[in-house]
Amino acid sequence: MFRQTPIRTGAGIALIAGLAIHASRGGYFDREIVIEIAILAMLAISLDIVAGFGRMISLCHGAIFGLAAYGYGTAIVKFGLPPSTGLVIGIALAIAFGALVGAICAGTVGIFYIMATLAFGQIAYVLIFESRWLGGDDGMTGVRRMDLSLIGLNMRDSLTFALVCLAVLVLVYIAAAVVLRSSFGRTLSGIHANEARMRAVGINTRMHKTAAFAFSAALAGIAGVLKAQHTMFVSPELLFWTLSGEVLIIVILGGIGTLIGPAIGATLLVLLKHEVSHYTVYWHVVVGAVLILAVLAGGRGLFGEFEYRLARWRARRRARRGTGGAADA
Amino acid sequence: MSGSAVFWITQLLNALQYSMLLFLLSIGLTVIFGLLHFVNLAHGALYAMGAYIGISLALRTGSYWVALVLAPVAVTLIGVVLYLLLIRRLRHAGPLSQVLVTFGLIFVFLDVIRILWGDIALGMDPPAALRGMTSIFGVRYPTYRLFIIGMGILIMVVLLVTLARSQIGAMIRAGVENDQMAACLGINVERLFFAVFCLGCALAGLAGVVAVPVLSATPGMGTDILIPALIVVVIGGLGSLHGAILGSFIVGFMATIGAVLLPGINSVLIFAALAAILVFRPQGLIPARG
Amino acid sequence: MQSIHGKVLAAVAAVTIVGGVGAAGAQTKVGVLLPYSGVFAALGQEIDDGFVFALEEAGRLDEFTLIREDTEVRPPEGLAKARKLVLQDEVDLIMGIVSSGVLAALRDFVTDSEVPLLVANAGEDSSTGENCSPYVIRVSFSNSQVNRPMGQWLYDQGYRRVYTLAPDYAAGQQMIATFRAGFEAAGGEIAGSEFTPFGRTQDYGPYITNARAAEPDAVFVFYAGSEAIAFVRQYDSFGMKEDIPLFGSGFLTSPLYVDAQGEAAIGVVASLHYVPTIDTPENNAFVEAFRARFDRTPSEYAVQGYDAGQVLMRALDAGADDRASLAREMPRVSYTGPRGPLEIDPLTNNIIQNIYVYDTVSDGAGGLTQEVLDVIERVQDEPMGCTLGQ
Repeated sequence: MFRQTPIRTGAGIALIAGLAIHASRGGYFDREIVIEIAILAMLAISLDIVAGFGRMISLCHGAIFGLAAYGYGTAIVKFGLPPSTGLVIGIALAIAFGALVGAICAGTVGIFYIMATLAFGQIAYVLIFESRWLGGDDGMTGVRRMDLSLIGLNMRDSLTFALVCLAVLVLVYIAAAVVLRSSFGRTLSGIHANEARMRAVGINTRMHKTAAFAFSAALAGIAGVLKAQHTMFVSPELLFWTLSGEVLIIVILGGIGTLIGPAIGATLLVLLKHEVSHYTVYWHVVVGAVLILAVLAGGRGLFGEFEYRLARWRARRRARRGTGGAADA
Repeated sequence: MSGSAVFWITQLLNALQYSMLLFLLSIGLTVIFGLLHFVNLAHGALYAMGAYIGISLALRTGSYWVALVLAPVAVTLIGVVLYLLLIRRLRHAGPLSQVLVTFGLIFVFLDVIRILWGDIALGMDPPAALRGMTSIFGVRYPTYRLFIIGMGILIMVVLLVTLARSQIGAMIRAGVENDQMAACLGINVERLFFAVFCLGCALAGLAGVVAVPVLSATPGMGTDILIPALIVVVIGGLGSLHGAILGSFIVGFMATIGAVLLPGINSVLIFAALAAILVFRPQGLIPARG
Repeated sequence: MQSIHGKVLAAVAAVTIVGGVGAAGAQTKVGVLLPYSGVFAALGQEIDDGFVFALEEAGRLDEFTLIREDTEVRPPEGLAKARKLVLQDEVDLIMGIVSSGVLAALRDFVTDSEVPLLVANAGEDSSTGENCSPYVIRVSFSNSQVNRPMGQWLYDQGYRRVYTLAPDYAAGQQMIATFRAGFEAAGGEIAGSEFTPFGRTQDYGPYITNARAAEPDAVFVFYAGSEAIAFVRQYDSFGMKEDIPLFGSGFLTSPLYVDAQGEAAIGVVASLHYVPTIDTPENNAFVEAFRARFDRTPSEYAVQGYDAGQVLMRALDAGADDRASLAREMPRVSYTGPRGPLEIDPLTNNIIQNIYVYDTVSDGAGGLTQEVLDVIERVQDEPMGCTLGQ
């Protein structure tokens, strides 16, 4: 079950503050990195909702993310709609696709869930890749950013855009935390722990799993719409399954089921990839090795491991005090 | 013979040839899952290693046949290292950890291949005896492709007979059905698992070296083939030998006949078939457990 | 192992060059935007080598600061790196771009930020057509340019019915459309045409069988890289080459990977803007010097990088010293290089160059070489909607 502990709040605030400072004090490329981190962190948080709290390991979150980006881009480029409408269309598309996939796959478990989501994601990828109307593999240019000058924000400025992305990341995190702490979230955690038992007590687990997936897709959609605005360009590899795989890596590296861990994982992976690519073009091998080590180390991820050790240390301290008290008496 | 009969026989041979390649590749994947409950996404990487090692061996020794025998052995050795270092520990870790670690291995192997063999794709000639064309059923068809079909059928028959008739086959069947019960009956399950894992790796390596003269070798070939191979094993039934045979035929024929009749949407059709199977019959068409 | 060695050297060189900024006087900052990983990594390295070789040969390497960024094959990655080069490193120009998708993604950005982009490969038509820009200057080729002469040429050789095949993506569609237009205008007939799923087709057997069933006089295809290797080998294995000759856009049998095709490539006729066997004093000298430096024969990709270096140096010699003057002077450069006379078309900013029809033959020593069959001189693209000249 999800708890918003002071440690998590502290880690979240420190992360956002660190990224904001990095963006405002750094050069142009540091801001780009912060934007990339913020968007990937949103996507990772959205995946953590289903993977970490509902045992739904999705390999189609890249496709959901890409569909939202395409929804936004298509609305603006092909239909000449204003970006605000594009935003709604993009997120709606993500929710619709997420609800559909979530509903169809809700009956499958384990490796079959992974494979089924992979299949649906690849269908979306192939359809967009082969659509000449959407530009095929060349993608679509001319995707504008939203005009927020009414509230005094110049979205074309990279610092402003980076800070907006961080603000949205905070909102996404809060939304996820609120939903997971609600009675719906507790039911979801119950399904995560033992789906058969939840069914036995009369809960419609299929419906809950579908709703959770749709909610997760909405957050992935927000990330996708921001991605389209960031690059001002959309192309099919946003939907390719390896992106879903990378997001899953991020969730695991950061700590599955901790919500803040995936945001930390996104920061780590982007920085790692960036740093390693300075020294060698063979960054795949480094990322692959880090991932393998992370899983072998227990699979709790960086933040998960930290919480685990903290909890163990506290329990031991409490136990020591407990026995000490008994001796006094 | 009429032109259209020649055309369809050739296309059927094409479909059969592609099915056999898929079979060689997916059989290891499915058997490892059936017995070890292990999802080995790195199976495609082993296939790629088989292809590249085969090319190097053929260049060094000047003989395709040496490569055909030794490349699977080399890939098996790589598999043994992976088994001892990683896979043994992850046997009971659940599908998520398995998928992630083997996904990491895909990344590692991708760059290992680029470092050792470079970025440019490599080709290899078939052995002299298998070059050119052979007449069969009234059509002329590439000899090497007939060799692939023959090789696939041979291995299929050997595996089917072994599984159905031999003692080790009975042990494997028992292990797939219920590994704890099999262990109670005195079967050394761990040793059996290891043997089957090695066999799976050898078949992946064999598929790689057999495929190279037709498909050529690229660093990304393991990832490219992984999705079709996963589709084959899921459609057939994860862990089922008979399922892998059926799945290979379905995917191979859909890909080929689709290319003739429905170019364009044919890859969507295969994914749609996969999704339908997963939703309505997740145990596959021929489930591993009876 | 050769290639890693090259990369390490290149990386070290990049670091030392960057370290030297400020020491020299008027340095030109070049953002080199190429795929150093992913499926096009070999092409990126080849262009990089050609570019550095041009500067080195002229003894002017120390006048330039090269900042290399990896685009992989991902347009968003390419755009992000281009923004970094322009906004953070403040480069004077960007050179490189292998894949058409990356070029399409960059076009608006470089135009808005008024940074010249010297395209050293990507052949996407619209970048020097309807979406042309005074800041996008192409020294490589356009997809249409390479294929346009082949329609008429095939017709002149007596072929009347041709079947076409290409991967199903923008470049494949553009190349085939141009060939088809030229061939039909000459009076030929397209016997059939198919596009194979890009990146997901390993076995071309079914498509080759379809082509044979259409009973054409010839087959014309566009494939590149690993797809080209597999296609040419499979075409030959079906005994097609003897019955129905294979023609293609020259990337089909590029010298970069023709060795991987082996004997299957012999007799395949293709059109390209460069082959290493062009017999001119300029090219002979270039090939000899390139071989001495890199121990291999230059491909068209290396020449594109080399000519990008030449065009840049000549523009600087003509007085260019910032983004605006580079964008103005680079299109005015014309010279005779390894691929013959070159100039930039003021109507589109695309290169005007010779197209060579060549045939792959055995070199008599177990290797393969290219034999030039025909030269189509000064091939110039139609404006295709470009309004630069107006």
